[in-house]
Amino acid sequence: MTERAGLYVHVPFCLTRCGYCDFNTYAGLDHLAGRYVESLRAEARLTSPEWSGATFVSMFLGGGTPTTMPSKTIAGLIAHLRESFALEPTAEVTSEANPDTVDEPYLVGLLEAGVTRLSMGVQSFDPVVLDSLERIHSPQSARAAFTAARAAGPSDVNLDLIYGAHGESLDSWQRTLDEAIAMGPEHLSCYALTIEPATPLGRKVAAGLVPPPDPDLQAEMYDLTCSALGAAGYEHYEVSNWAKPGHRCVHNLGYWDGRPYLGLGAGAHSFRDARRWWNVRPPQEYLELVASGQLPTGGEEHLTDEERGLERLLLGLRTADGVPKEWLDPARADRFVADGLAVSRNGHVALTDRGMLLANELTLSL
Amino acid sequence: MDQALIRNFCIVAHIDHGKSTLADRFLELTHSVAERQMRDQYLDRMDLERERGITIKAQAVRLRYAPSPGAPDYELNLIDTPGHVDFTYEVSRSLAACEGAILLVDAAQGIEAQTLANFHLAREAGLAIIPALNKIDLPAADPDEVARELAALVGGEPADVLRVSAKSGDGVPALLDAVIDHVPAPSGDPAAPLRALVFDSTYDPYRGVIAYLRVVDGEIRGRDRILFLSNRFVSESEEVGAFAPEPEPVPSLSAGDVGYLVTGVKDVRHAKVGDTVTLARHGATSPLPGYRDPKPMVWSGLFPAEGGDYPLLRDALDKLKLSDASLVYEPESSLALGFGFRCGFLGLLHMDIVKERLEREFNLELIATAPNVEFLVRRSEETTTVHNPSEMPAPGTYDDVEEPFVIATVVTPSTYLGPVMDLCQSRRGSLQDLKYLSPERAEIHYLLPLAEIIFDFFDQLKSRTRGYASLDYEHWGYEPSDLVRVDVLLQGEPVDAFSSVVHREKSYAYGRVMTERLQKLIPRQLYEVAIQATIGSRVIARETVRAKRKDVLAKCYGGDITRKRKLLEKQKEGKKRMRRVGRVDVPQEAFIAALRVDQGAVGERK
Repeated sequence: MTERAGLYVHVPFCLTRCGYCDFNTYAGLDHLAGRYVESLRAEARLTSPEWSGATFVSMFLGGGTPTTMPSKTIAGLIAHLRESFALEPTAEVTSEANPDTVDEPYLVGLLEAGVTRLSMGVQSFDPVVLDSLERIHSPQSARAAFTAARAAGPSDVNLDLIYGAHGESLDSWQRTLDEAIAMGPEHLSCYALTIEPATPLGRKVAAGLVPPPDPDLQAEMYDLTCSALGAAGYEHYEVSNWAKPGHRCVHNLGYWDGRPYLGLGAGAHSFRDARRWWNVRPPQEYLELVASGQLPTGGEEHLTDEERGLERLLLGLRTADGVPKEWLDPARADRFVADGLAVSRNGHVALTDRGMLLANELTLSL
Repeated sequence: MDQALIRNFCIVAHIDHGKSTLADRFLELTHSVAERQMRDQYLDRMDLERERGITIKAQAVRLRYAPSPGAPDYELNLIDTPGHVDFTYEVSRSLAACEGAILLVDAAQGIEAQTLANFHLAREAGLAIIPALNKIDLPAADPDEVARELAALVGGEPADVLRVSAKSGDGVPALLDAVIDHVPAPSGDPAAPLRALVFDSTYDPYRGVIAYLRVVDGEIRGRDRILFLSNRFVSESEEVGAFAPEPEPVPSLSAGDVGYLVTGVKDVRHAKVGDTVTLARHGATSPLPGYRDPKPMVWSGLFPAEGGDYPLLRDALDKLKLSDASLVYEPESSLALGFGFRCGFLGLLHMDIVKERLEREFNLELIATAPNVEFLVRRSEETTTVHNPSEMPAPGTYDDVEEPFVIATVVTPSTYLGPVMDLCQSRRGSLQDLKYLSPERAEIHYLLPLAEIIFDFFDQLKSRTRGYASLDYEHWGYEPSDLVRVDVLLQGEPVDAFSSVVHREKSYAYGRVMTERLQKLIPRQLYEVAIQATIGSRVIARETVRAKRKDVLAKCYGGDITRKRKLLEKQKEGKKRMRRVGRVDVPQEAFIAALRVDQGAVGERK
């Protein structure tokens, strides 16, 4: 059986840094974009022989903001990657998109380049919340970007939303959900805001300038999300992801199902055969290593069976499909089923909506 | 040496009144310590003593002193006694080894509770008392007034009270002269069979038990077959010596002498403080008066923080016991804390010292349950001793319970009499006596349950009197009290470590405080946790820890997986360190914090 793998491409450029974001991304390095794309191509050439046996079922352009680059550049990159790797003709190709960086002609260009799925960082339709998240776009530009995507041609559209920022109420989250549902995207990712220490927002919280999110309020918002999106016909298939039937994200499912993936670009992670490795994070260093003909690997780990087991459990329990029952302590699994935290079907145990919100605790107990 | 030239004496003083500094001056004045070997608090040898500024073990030192040129050398044996109420018995034995005592009082502070307690002990032991003021050069000193107080206490004229500054050395020679003049020489019979009092002992890992001796009658040589009269234990002595001030072997010690004896005994239980040593052959038959077995007054469970350390704790206690005859312990198994030991101590200070030594010398991390006193439970004709609250029988199954009481002596400026009496009243005290040392200072005696003193009584007393009041107490005996056992339950499961025996009037307050404290300390879990305090089957207080609703990382993609796994591994480690009670996980810190004794006693007006 051939390996079914995912291909991730990291674009570490943004117009500005958002206060809550701890991804490997930089504002003001756009001048490196040209050389960076060249490096991605070179890295693909360096690594492709190792992956000649794998079939890639998905590609994901993430960041950062891939759409800070011209659509032609992206088209050239995708074409090159198709030459280097065995990407299935029907593969899902996702690009993240910042509402402020896209219009209809641009998106037409992306779709022509082979992109089949657009993931838009909307975060909220409430200006107060956007301000609290230090997002520069407005609700209007999110609406405009969505309209442009629909006009550009057929694609799956995902909206990324964040709940639980300072200043957000249950009502305002309800309004954001209502508006998102009314737009009718195929996919919705709804994340509880997580405070990362090494971010401007994290520092503000540590200094007491901004209160940390209230976990109980976030739980209320999560409950609201589950019921509103469920009623609107979305399936809750992972802790933070909902999709119309048949529109789950193939690429991300790969992570949760434990399939191999190759990451290209600064700081990108890869995983195959119990080995996980990652590229150096600073773009300059990444460029220099690739330019000298070396793989830009910055570190790696080999998972023990125990670690692998814990990962499979923690990832599997995030999804609606759950994990095979034989992985679990049967008595505990039965108790969680009895308590409404999990369900058991077809030899699998999966967490319920309520259980998913407690996935950490349950993973450790099962 | 001719007994007429021997003087055995001690210094009794309240803490910080300068006893150790005065001893240092004596050592210097008599050239007993080479100058380069001199250090402050010379006689306090244990690290703990030096750190805390207290004396735990008694020490003795031989001073040679000629009061005037041409006069014969006198041998002055200074016995340095412990100064804490936990060690009252040890103090009484040290006093029994002397014929006189310097009663030393800080000229700025005046007479304190410990001064009174030790004065009474010294007087009961029949010692000659030499009243002396210390720190006369302090700006705040009021020597005339304090001399009047002191003269009124010991009986005499204020002019007879000696005045010294142990710091500068002023008046110190006159004090030594007074020791020679006023302390009687020993009057034992050197020809009689040997009788020597063990007034303290230490344990040396190589040489075994070293007893500190005061020879009363007869003579003991380096190598003799000796007999301990309390337990008829026979041993071969290995060495006798004097403290000069470091141990120095001598051929023999005879009537009137103070020194040490390397007993050849490997366990301090066979050579106990207060016992009488005689010779196995032609020995004395009647012991010196005053011996008694050490009796623990305060009990606490000691548990290793790491369950696997139980054997280490057992070994550590076995070793400590070799040098501390008053420590008792028995294995205890707690549902919440696992395997440990129920330990009996002379008092809270003793408990603190033992715990600190176990942690310091044996590198253990320990959880101590809240200390409790011993209860006597009476059921018709039968009396049971209970020193673990979780063993207290259910209400209705016994006739009555008795608890130990103490007579507490408080010395306070009269302006704080009100707050002091309020405090004693709130701790179930009954006033026994009230006297004025002077118009400004009062001496009060209260009968109080020991249980009310062992918590934060002393801290409360200090804070209510701006630090001016002092406390001492002596044990009185057992009296019936209306006591009930309060249990703390998590999800219906009693947590034995949190059970306590308290007075009925305070049981509700205790239950409320414990449930509230635990409500804050127990983290939210998958299920709601009910915390209840009960007396028998009756719930007297209840708190709830709401169920946790959210415990998941929102995002988990490619690179997050490693990080997420590590977070979970950490969370798992944290869970391992928790104690499971039924289906509730209780962090170790919650036990430690909930069992702290210094958070204010229950049911008290603040």
